[in-house]
Amino acid sequence: MIKKLTMMAAAAAVFAAGCGKPSDGDGATEGGGAKPKHKIAYVTNGIDPFWDLCAAGVKQAENELGGVECEIHFPPKGLADQKSILETLLTKGIKGIAVSPIDADGQTKFLNEVASETVLITHDADAPKSNRQVYVGTDNYKAGRALGQLVKEAIPDGGEVMIFVGRLEQLNARQRRQGVIDELLDRPHQVLGQVKFDEVAKVFKGDKYTVLDTRTDNFVMDTAKSNAEDAITKHKDLACMVGLFAYNPPRCLAAIREAGKLGQIKVCGFDEDDDLLQAIKDGHAQGTISQQPWKYGYNSVKVLKAILDGDTSVIPANKFIDVGFKVVTSKNIEAFWSEKRKMAALGAKKD
Amino acid sequence: MDAQPSLLKVTAIGKQFPGVQALHNVDLTLNRGEVLSLVGENGAGKSTMMKILAGVHTPDAGTIELDGKPIRANSVREAQAHGIALIHQELNLAGNLDIAANIFLGNEPHKAGFIDRKDIHAQASKHLKRVGLAFPTDTLVADLTIGHQQLVEIAKALSVDARIIIMDEPTSSLAQKETENLFKVVNDLRSQGISIIYISHRLGEVIELSDRVSVLRDGENAGELAREEISHDAMVKLMVGRDLSQFYQRNATEPGEVVIEANRLRTSAHPNRELSFSVRQGEIVGIAGLVGAGRTELLQTLFGITPAVGGTLKLDGNKILPRRPLEAIIAGIALAPEDRKQHGLVSEMSVRENSSLPRLRVDQKAGMIDFSAETNVANEAVEKMDIKTPHLEQVIQYLSGGNQQKVVLGKWLAMNPRLLLLDEPTRGIDVGSKQEIYKLMEELAASGVAILFVSSEMEEVLGMADRVLVMHEGAITGELDRNQLSEETIMQLATDNKAAA
Amino acid sequence: MKKNILGILGLFIFIFIFTAYYSEPFLSAYNMQNLIKWSSLYAIMGIGVAFVIITGGIDLSIGSVIGLVASLMALAIKKGWDPNFAVVMLLGLSLGIGLIHGLLITKVKLQPFVVTLCGLLVYRGISRWMTDNQTMQYPGTDKLDSLFSGKVLMGSFGLPAPLFFLIVVAILAAIFLNRTIWGRYLFALGNNEDGARYSGIETDRLKIVAYVICSFLAGLSGLLFAYELDSVQPAQTGEFYELYAIAAAVLGGCSLRGGQGTILGVIIAAAVIRLLRNSINLLGISTHLEYAIIGMVILCGVAADEIIKRVMARRRTAQVTTARK
Repeated sequence: MIKKLTMMAAAAAVFAAGCGKPSDGDGATEGGGAKPKHKIAYVTNGIDPFWDLCAAGVKQAENELGGVECEIHFPPKGLADQKSILETLLTKGIKGIAVSPIDADGQTKFLNEVASETVLITHDADAPKSNRQVYVGTDNYKAGRALGQLVKEAIPDGGEVMIFVGRLEQLNARQRRQGVIDELLDRPHQVLGQVKFDEVAKVFKGDKYTVLDTRTDNFVMDTAKSNAEDAITKHKDLACMVGLFAYNPPRCLAAIREAGKLGQIKVCGFDEDDDLLQAIKDGHAQGTISQQPWKYGYNSVKVLKAILDGDTSVIPANKFIDVGFKVVTSKNIEAFWSEKRKMAALGAKKD
Repeated sequence: MDAQPSLLKVTAIGKQFPGVQALHNVDLTLNRGEVLSLVGENGAGKSTMMKILAGVHTPDAGTIELDGKPIRANSVREAQAHGIALIHQELNLAGNLDIAANIFLGNEPHKAGFIDRKDIHAQASKHLKRVGLAFPTDTLVADLTIGHQQLVEIAKALSVDARIIIMDEPTSSLAQKETENLFKVVNDLRSQGISIIYISHRLGEVIELSDRVSVLRDGENAGELAREEISHDAMVKLMVGRDLSQFYQRNATEPGEVVIEANRLRTSAHPNRELSFSVRQGEIVGIAGLVGAGRTELLQTLFGITPAVGGTLKLDGNKILPRRPLEAIIAGIALAPEDRKQHGLVSEMSVRENSSLPRLRVDQKAGMIDFSAETNVANEAVEKMDIKTPHLEQVIQYLSGGNQQKVVLGKWLAMNPRLLLLDEPTRGIDVGSKQEIYKLMEELAASGVAILFVSSEMEEVLGMADRVLVMHEGAITGELDRNQLSEETIMQLATDNKAAA
Repeated sequence: MKKNILGILGLFIFIFIFTAYYSEPFLSAYNMQNLIKWSSLYAIMGIGVAFVIITGGIDLSIGSVIGLVASLMALAIKKGWDPNFAVVMLLGLSLGIGLIHGLLITKVKLQPFVVTLCGLLVYRGISRWMTDNQTMQYPGTDKLDSLFSGKVLMGSFGLPAPLFFLIVVAILAAIFLNRTIWGRYLFALGNNEDGARYSGIETDRLKIVAYVICSFLAGLSGLLFAYELDSVQPAQTGEFYELYAIAAAVLGGCSLRGGQGTILGVIIAAAVIRLLRNSINLLGISTHLEYAIIGMVILCGVAADEIIKRVMARRRTAQVTTARK
């Protein structure tokens, strides 16, 4: 941690020394009196292949739209790292930030500080109580319901369903989980922003479907896997495992494979891990809900650029730009996967 | 003097420690503005006496009267309240604090719990002046020389209105100049009416400073010398002179070839002193001297614990220079150290594991322990040394001191050493075990082992040694053959009185 | 030097029976396989740190070494290195790390806590920097995959690969500690370093060996964890594992004062820690309570152990006194 902070401080110092002046003076950067590029930043909530795909969208937008320069940050270890990254960005005098808040409620005050110094938008997860200009994201509740639909398709006759997730402090995780539960219990649709959440440890019994208690792993991989293993051990009649974070479905699949229950226990997931896509292709998993993360990246940059250019018409009244999601099943897996590969290659490319 | 009652009158003090009668029926008087020196051999009871006066120990018997009134000091604080302060051999200052803070440590003048900084420094500088120190009172104690630190310690005693200051070997680590300075302060204090009890091995200093000398021997009063009677010879005569007939007498045999020969050897503890000596096969050589004379350091150098900084060493004619104990052991040297618990034993291991520890390496089979050989080694040690233990697996810390020492010796005998170094071989051991260890030393010598032993017990040196090296402040001040041996000569050499020797 | 492991064994049996009673699927082959697998992985780390703890030292860098090895393995595959060569190189690197720790501690005379705490930071930083902090996988190394995380079928019961690594490591470690002179020396120096030196033991060299063994086993664990999870996150893989390893060693009877420890005890203790997790999941106890429960059980275990030891010591002293009378 100390090392990281000093490195970051050093980087900030170098950056300030090297770039401080040109960005102030007009025309000093690019030749021929071109307008200086907006310096903006894209901050994730952690490290994951998911974020590499978002980064691809960021780069795509950078290339296609022009006039912006975006640095991408992956806070490795939770809240504290994300906060210090944002602080460093402010120190550097960044013009705009798109962030995926880790703990929306807890961070509100800090995010307001950020918003008072720069243009702040949220992506992937929202902080509705903060002064962010707009939220670029998915309706995670709706996506959760779509995921519930997938579960229904996977096990039309009903059965026991268990949800796995990294942590439930995050709003998007809670919304997804609630969407799945509401769909499986055939409850009425709720409106995003006013969703009521059910208890974590509770078991919900519907007519056909039973949603077992949700296990969290705090992003620790061996816990994610052993949680899945223990669930298979504990619930003999487990019919479907639902992984809400990108790394959950592959851990579920590994556990199922080792238990010799491939196909017997269905898997529905979120996001687009290669292992999960392969399993969908092979028929071991029912499908996944992809938020097409590159669209997050792309749209975040696009919106930030528009605001910095003075065009506030991109901000809708409800401050929510829905980039939608895609339901991926065996029917459309090939096309989807090739698009993902293309974006992954772009995301991994070094500048 | 006689008309006025003594400031301090100690009568018939007795103190017993487990197994030892440290003091027996000791009397002591101290007058106002007097420097009384307390002298005696190692273990004569000086330190115990001082600690009783300073409230560290409580006496088993006897009375202490101050100004004619009986007092009891059960703690250092109570003694201080009576105006008695002890300045230890090792100073008790906190190096990371400044002079003022040290002077008032534990006695800080305060207002409602807050330390009054201004007051502290003002008072400290007043006390500092009395001992002739002119440093700012916010100087860190760690930045002072040992001599100056000692004066700070005295100032600290003055700060609690001490009327009696006890100094235990105050000059042992001082340079000549600092010693002279200290004497000046002592004389000043005397003229201010403060009484001083001065303990020193350096009889020259005692002669210079004392108004009176009291001599202790084996925990009892041996005599007193008034100012005009004080002389080197007179003191030594009182310090020694005991009946030795009851102690072990060795039957020396003709020594063989030279086993170890040191030539101008210099130890890191006393790098300016050159030591030359030799020990022959079958010979038992004692090293006598007072505490701090550099005897233990010499043995540690021979054993490779603190490698020599100069000179040469030959074992059986071959040059060696052990830089680690293992090298010394391989060459055939063994050491039974002074501090058994710290250096001699692995106290949580069993008798078997302790007695076989050096031998394991020799008996190993490609790194594997030869367990039957190990058991043999342990059994042999128990048998030969007559170690009293319920079984070989007994954890060694539950054995008596004598049996522990036998295990230490047993583990080295298993190595068949050429040269056996013994540092205080019978310290803290009961009489019976002592005799057994003496017998063993003789047997080993008879079998051709060269033995070099350090002892602070005079009767042990006189009884066991074929030859004695006497050390004083890192140097060998004399070498005495068996027929030259007497307690008096050793004492003269140990206190470096060349004229007398 | 054999220490009583009955306490920890009793604890294991108690939790085992308790869980088996309340959770019917606990005893299923599948669950047992998993339990064995995770326990083996933890035990290998625990054995490593036990060596260091026996010398009276500590190693806080284990988790970071695991992360470093797992990260560099993935990086090597990505760069197209021969995976077998990479494995050899990484195990060599682990040895080198231990050597550096040992030299800093014995020759420069730094405190083990400080040296390995810095190691914890340095190796984690290097992992993240070398890999650009990217999550990576281990594609195209099926042979290594089956070596490190495969299963050996015994009828329908699959013995996980880490178990075999543990068996080899445990046997070698137990022989080293109990049968070789160096093992004896290690206990002796852990108990009384000066005493050991005065008996001709090369204490510095042995301490270095202990740190080398510890880091080597951490490196091996790194490979095993990597293939077990098929994925590495340079910032997270192995984080806090040193604490589990130390907990296993201490619960297994190693004294942080040095000079004590048994391999079997460490293995059982590692199993207890994994068993607790398994049991918490199967009994449906909130995952949020997991740390609290593990912490309490370790604390109780160590406390009970200490009390038993003291009672035994008192009895022994009593014996000696009566014997003397």
